[in-house]
Amino acid sequence: MRDVTQDPARDEGQDGRTQPPPLAEYRARARAWIAENLERASGSRVEYRVGEPADLAAERRLQRRLYAAGYAGISWPREYGGQGLPAEYERAFRLEARGYRLPDFGVVGGTTYGVCALTMLAHASPEFRRRHIPRILAGDELWVEFFSEPAAGSDLAGVRTTATRDPSGTWILNGSKIWSSGAYYADWGMCLARTNWDVPKHRGLTWFAVPATAPGVTIRRIRQITGDAEFCEEFFDNVELSDDDVIGEVDNGWTVTQTMLLFERGGGAAHDSSRRVAPRGIAPDLVELARSVGRLNDPLARDLIVRAHVDDLARRALLARLGQRMTRDPGTAASLASYGKLSSGVYDPIRARLAMEIGGPDAVAWERDDADPAATAQAKAAEAFLGSRFMSIAGGTNEMQRNTIGERVLGLPREPSFDRDKPFREVLQDARAWTGRGGSSR
Amino acid sequence: MSVDLVVSATPEQELLVETSARFIASTLPLSQVRALAEAGRAPDAGYYETAASLGWFGMLADERHGGGSASGNGVLDAAAVAAERGAGLQPGPFVGTNVAVAALAGAQPRHAELVGRLVRGQARATWVAGAVAGLTPDTGRVVASADGDGYVLRGSVRHVADADECDHLLVTADGVDGPVQLVVDANAPGVGRRRLEGMDITRRGFAVSFDDVRVGADALVGEPGAGAREAVERELAIAAVLTVAESVGAMHHDFTTAVEHARTRIAFGRPIGSFQAVKHLLADTSLSLEMAKGLVVAAAEALGEGAANAIELAHAAKSFVAERGIELTHACFQVLGGIGYTWEHDHHLFMRRLGADAVAFGSAQWHRARLGEGIGVG
Repeated sequence: MRDVTQDPARDEGQDGRTQPPPLAEYRARARAWIAENLERASGSRVEYRVGEPADLAAERRLQRRLYAAGYAGISWPREYGGQGLPAEYERAFRLEARGYRLPDFGVVGGTTYGVCALTMLAHASPEFRRRHIPRILAGDELWVEFFSEPAAGSDLAGVRTTATRDPSGTWILNGSKIWSSGAYYADWGMCLARTNWDVPKHRGLTWFAVPATAPGVTIRRIRQITGDAEFCEEFFDNVELSDDDVIGEVDNGWTVTQTMLLFERGGGAAHDSSRRVAPRGIAPDLVELARSVGRLNDPLARDLIVRAHVDDLARRALLARLGQRMTRDPGTAASLASYGKLSSGVYDPIRARLAMEIGGPDAVAWERDDADPAATAQAKAAEAFLGSRFMSIAGGTNEMQRNTIGERVLGLPREPSFDRDKPFREVLQDARAWTGRGGSSR
Repeated sequence: MSVDLVVSATPEQELLVETSARFIASTLPLSQVRALAEAGRAPDAGYYETAASLGWFGMLADERHGGGSASGNGVLDAAAVAAERGAGLQPGPFVGTNVAVAALAGAQPRHAELVGRLVRGQARATWVAGAVAGLTPDTGRVVASADGDGYVLRGSVRHVADADECDHLLVTADGVDGPVQLVVDANAPGVGRRRLEGMDITRRGFAVSFDDVRVGADALVGEPGAGAREAVERELAIAAVLTVAESVGAMHHDFTTAVEHARTRIAFGRPIGSFQAVKHLLADTSLSLEMAKGLVVAAAEALGEGAANAIELAHAAKSFVAERGIELTHACFQVLGGIGYTWEHDHHLFMRRLGADAVAFGSAQWHRARLGEGIGVG
């Protein structure tokens, strides 16, 4: 690990304790360093066909350069390789770095720095953090979540991947995971496994760190409805792990999960209560589509475009309102986030259908010409249609959001459940035998 | 209980909303609204004077006219009050008087005295818009012909709210050089006000006729032609935004009633709100309501600030709330079940109101068509 006392961004105070430098001074130094060491970003942001950077090694080198200079993990604890500075220093650096190229690890960058590392900082042992967090900050470890399973999506606590501790103290992991974004180019996965089948489902879960290259781990890309292959599935066949790989406490993984879900849904981020509905053109993509099929002056097509535009405005107004409500009452943020998620899950498909109606047959088949803007607009509408149910399912289905809103915001009672206060082993047995007739028809 | 329309309300706005809600609850609660509606009567003059003392009719006028906004954004203040009014289905020309105040306060100084009386609740006004600018086609129009240095008005317009309670009418008429706006004494010879039967029994609709009504040049509000066209656009936006603000208040109340019913009504051994079929319907409805409130606030803020996208947001808010309002009242009806079909339960009053609001000052489709005119322009 590098010597943090050589840190250019910090000064030693007289009492030996470190004092943050004045913000303006820090900012000036950052500006100079950025101008010296970073490249200007090209005009348009790189658009990945899937979540993978074109040159992963180059992104890692860039991350390492930031880390070496003390500009990675600016607000993260010093003992784990961060700089331990207040959040405004991090913001100041971000502002100075605008317009410059920063490391972009695609979809895995979000899970590594926005979810997994933050969860580790909250729950992993100090030894674990010392082992992994500096390597994450240096760009040497990219992390994904091994979370959902083929038989456990919305019912996340119902995972069946199992870790068993053998007499020598080694954990043996068996099972499979699915929907991990970008796992095929990640180094590690945070894996939720059942470690006790004889307690209710939320109580027998444990998080493990699993190296993507460990013997017995198979990672396969899944070809998706759009033709892309960003998501992966994993198979674990007697993968050996140690106590050192446990994140949080054994059998107490659900506590860790709740933290993780909060980060995943952006509930841990600051709420922007100043957001306003600023002027923006009328649904530019749909206007382009209508133009491409010669319907720009068709009143029927125009009405469809405006329908989408009005919904767009209402969705932006909703986010502004939610931000204000979250700021006013931060305790409600996690529940209120369900409105934003549900609005995407409900309105994305509606918008995609409006586009298909505007495009007509030309949004179903188009000229084979990538250089033709009309064909591009039409192909985009078709792809949006196929992808439009993403937000209604991924990261908590519409139904889960409706339950959250119904129960936590509106105060409606829960459905009776079949799996509370019952060992998970029995839950599965009883469910298979359930016929729905009578009270207990076995 | 407040509608909570403006989440980031200033302390002054909070006070305005709180005193307005208290005034409504103590002076004209739903039971009294219902009694007035069944008797076909309007509130008495005292109601308007007290409402005026709270600031209801002065938010779109400046201090010079005895008005002034609580927060610096008068349209947003008025929307916050309108939402509380909607939750209590308050009758009377709140929208009409505020539109007239906004139009007159921004026009010739000679109208200042009338603005002052409107602001103080000593006079009331409503807007006779008719088919102007294509709004609500076939509702009739008024033609203003030159008559000496004044005008003579002929024609009739249906669906003018609260006309018999008003002393003054803001008439948007067809003139020689485009639209012309005139303020007319509602009791002048030749002015007829015929009561219409209506679905929304908490509002009172009229057909207003002008049979050779003569007015002087001093009746002119603003300038005819291009000036009037611009003024009408703004009046329409104010009317639309205040109407949808009242609508979201009504939506809020209807929805709250349905949620409470779902929490307490027992069927099959448990509260019906525990069934996902009911819970999910209410969650979706709640999403619509939050979006509607957000959009109304965005439109009111923009209009009060004179933002570049104010008219666009007003059209968007009117078209969104018109449709979501009707969906909401249907969903609430479904959750209430049979009780919602009775005269005794208040739900029908809200269903009537939301059905009527949906087409007042332009239907969803009309407002979308106005937005559509911006496609491919600029």
